[in-house]
Amino acid sequence: MAYVAIADRDAHLHDPQTFIEKYIWSQDHKVIAIQYGSVAIFVGLIALVLSLLMRLEIGFPDTFRFITPYNYYQFVTMHGMIMVIYLLTALFLGGFGNYLIPLMCGARDMVFPYMNMLSFWVYLLSVIVLLTSFFVPGGPTGAGWTLYPPQTVLEGTPGADWGIVLMLGSLAIFIVAFTMGGLNYVTTVLQARCRGMTLMRMPLSVWGIFVATILGLLAFPALLVAAIMMLLDRLIGTSFFMPALLSLGETSTHNGGSPILFQHLFWFFGHPEVYIVALPAFGIVSDLLSTHARKNIFGYRMMVWAIVAIGALSFVVWAHHMYVSGMNPYFGFFFATTTLIIAVPTAIKVYNWVLTLWRANIQVNTPNLFAIGFIFTFVHGGLTGLFLGNVTVDLPLSDTYFVIGHFHMVMGVSPVMVLFGAIYHWFPKITGKMPNEFLGRVHFWMTFLGTYAIYLPMHYLGILGMPRRYYAYGNTAFIPGSAQAVNEAITIAAIVVATAQVIFLINVFYSLRKGKPAGQNPWNATTLEWQTPQTPPVHGNWGPKLPVVYRWAYDYSVPGEAKDFVPQNEPPKGHQTSLG
Amino acid sequence: MFPAMVIAILTAITAWWLLVQRLREKPWMKQGVVPTSQETVFSSAPKIGLWVFLAVVSSLFGLFSSAYVMRLHDAHGEITTWAPIVKPSLLWLNTTVLVLASGAMQIARNRVDRDDFGGVRVYFSVAGVLTVLFLAGQVLAWRQVAAAGNYGPGNPAFAFFILITAVHGIHLIGGMFVLARTIARVWRGADKLAVVTRSRLRMSVQLCTTYWHWLLLIWLGLFALLLST
Repeated sequence: MAYVAIADRDAHLHDPQTFIEKYIWSQDHKVIAIQYGSVAIFVGLIALVLSLLMRLEIGFPDTFRFITPYNYYQFVTMHGMIMVIYLLTALFLGGFGNYLIPLMCGARDMVFPYMNMLSFWVYLLSVIVLLTSFFVPGGPTGAGWTLYPPQTVLEGTPGADWGIVLMLGSLAIFIVAFTMGGLNYVTTVLQARCRGMTLMRMPLSVWGIFVATILGLLAFPALLVAAIMMLLDRLIGTSFFMPALLSLGETSTHNGGSPILFQHLFWFFGHPEVYIVALPAFGIVSDLLSTHARKNIFGYRMMVWAIVAIGALSFVVWAHHMYVSGMNPYFGFFFATTTLIIAVPTAIKVYNWVLTLWRANIQVNTPNLFAIGFIFTFVHGGLTGLFLGNVTVDLPLSDTYFVIGHFHMVMGVSPVMVLFGAIYHWFPKITGKMPNEFLGRVHFWMTFLGTYAIYLPMHYLGILGMPRRYYAYGNTAFIPGSAQAVNEAITIAAIVVATAQVIFLINVFYSLRKGKPAGQNPWNATTLEWQTPQTPPVHGNWGPKLPVVYRWAYDYSVPGEAKDFVPQNEPPKGHQTSLG
Repeated sequence: MFPAMVIAILTAITAWWLLVQRLREKPWMKQGVVPTSQETVFSSAPKIGLWVFLAVVSSLFGLFSSAYVMRLHDAHGEITTWAPIVKPSLLWLNTTVLVLASGAMQIARNRVDRDDFGGVRVYFSVAGVLTVLFLAGQVLAWRQVAAAGNYGPGNPAFAFFILITAVHGIHLIGGMFVLARTIARVWRGADKLAVVTRSRLRMSVQLCTTYWHWLLLIWLGLFALLLST
């Protein structure tokens, strides 16, 4: 019996006709991906500016009168929340997940296109609600992205009136959007793969995004629970998290709540969240390295196993963010053990990336530079994570700049390197034009060297004991003048790196209009998205017939083949491509 | 810790299925088309979508329950001891109504397999009415509890009771929208429906029923938790 793919059953997708149907209320996964990506990058640029404001204050204290302690903590909070959730999660899953999953799986679109469209507009709503908090009395919340109670809803903290309400509301709305999107990604991978595309023939990009989505679907509810309970504490005076306390001389009406409960709930979400950011990066970088080194990814099965294992283990490490909360030391021991265990599959992945490059035909181009840059920066960040994962070493380093150096390297620098690499890599597919290589290289080197200049010194500052989330350090004996000099240098590096991102934006807009036409498969890649009949792909992606897959995604430099790559949908020699 | 355990177990099972089954494959060796009929466990995207959504909902309620239990343990030995709320017997009646609603949906689901859309119309409407009764009963129960003990929002048992039942109720209300749409479609004359629409309707009925049964199971779990504390 002829196999009819899920994506081809039922009525055909009807092609959108009007401008509004095509580009605004679009149900096409490619348009939705670009919508997600544009909003995420826009809001990320706002967060970048906030980080510059923070650095200006730390590098040059007592210089900028418009940066008050009140504002400073608002910048800290909004920078963190926007970057982690509204930029990285939205861009990797909403942006790249939406674009790549149907194309790499050989589907025409996601399985629930209407819900996919809704998920974007609800995400946009969550961003609008978040940005509104800048304009309400008291401004946005300044509680730190971790939003720990009781401070978050107390009078001394910026935004305790309205800012926190809008933040929690925005997070709840985001979680609804994420759930709708997540249902799409998971169901499409499970149900809408084309004929011949088994799970073990999927590119690692899809595996990374798929497992990350499952993590998100199970972990975001924890944030929702915490957000709802904190909202109730703030709005109607429940005491889920609020203990009895004295605030500004008055006893509160709250009684009996547990701030530690919030920490458990938040970090039960928070740790999987960082893997929701990291796993798509791991998957995508595997594909970038493989394509641009003209070599199959080393140890594909182990890479899949490692992604799944990291995903599963990420649920049992959360309290390594709580070593200093006063919990039972035996719990600390348990979580330190699981944290070290999770380093094993992660390290295996790093070895496999390096082994993929070993004796490969490495192409020196911008996407590959970013992919190799990822390996360097991720190893760096991962190694410092080993320090922080051990309880005893974490005690003096907690809440210092060492932690800031660590998480920026693993979440801010390396996944962002992958994002840039991915954008340069798929730009020809999305737009039909090649990005400018010279501008790309300048962007890469400034970013790569610059982020080292920013974050490497922070580790020394952390070991010195310089605490994080401080507006000013004053003249204390344990923070010597040389530390202040380092802070100035970091600030200058940050300004330079931020400026380098302008080069990236210029490249994107310039290449959109004046870039060289790319053709169907400029990188000679094997994965399905490069085999679409039109570039950029049109609505429905594949033309009248869906592709059929005959091989895995990594047939590069196969001995005996004429070309150094064999696309996934190319039949083996002598195969009869008959129907049925 | 409990949700972590559950998730760990679920992940272990998924990992076993995925990996032990799949890792034996050597994808770089296999060429040619693999028949994909054995690949899909269910043959339907909406069913998988619903089950994934139910996993998310279960995770949510599991976490609320964990928070409840953690708060319960915290409160013992605190200055304010845990003051359990009165549990009105109305809650038992509400539970029965919800069981009946699920029962009605199951009958409708059996009827739809026999293409008896008239029966579907009747039993789905009955289920809808019973669910509305359940929701009204829950609101009434809230008022009974509030009146019985004069509890304020500061009382954790009371706050959790309202919060958890409200979240459950909101999920039921969401389901009511889908139920209403399905009933409206059936009301428009099922015997005149084309084959494709009929199979879509059958899918809607099955999905609604699964959803209601699952929410009933969740309610039974929550109710047991509430009663035992």
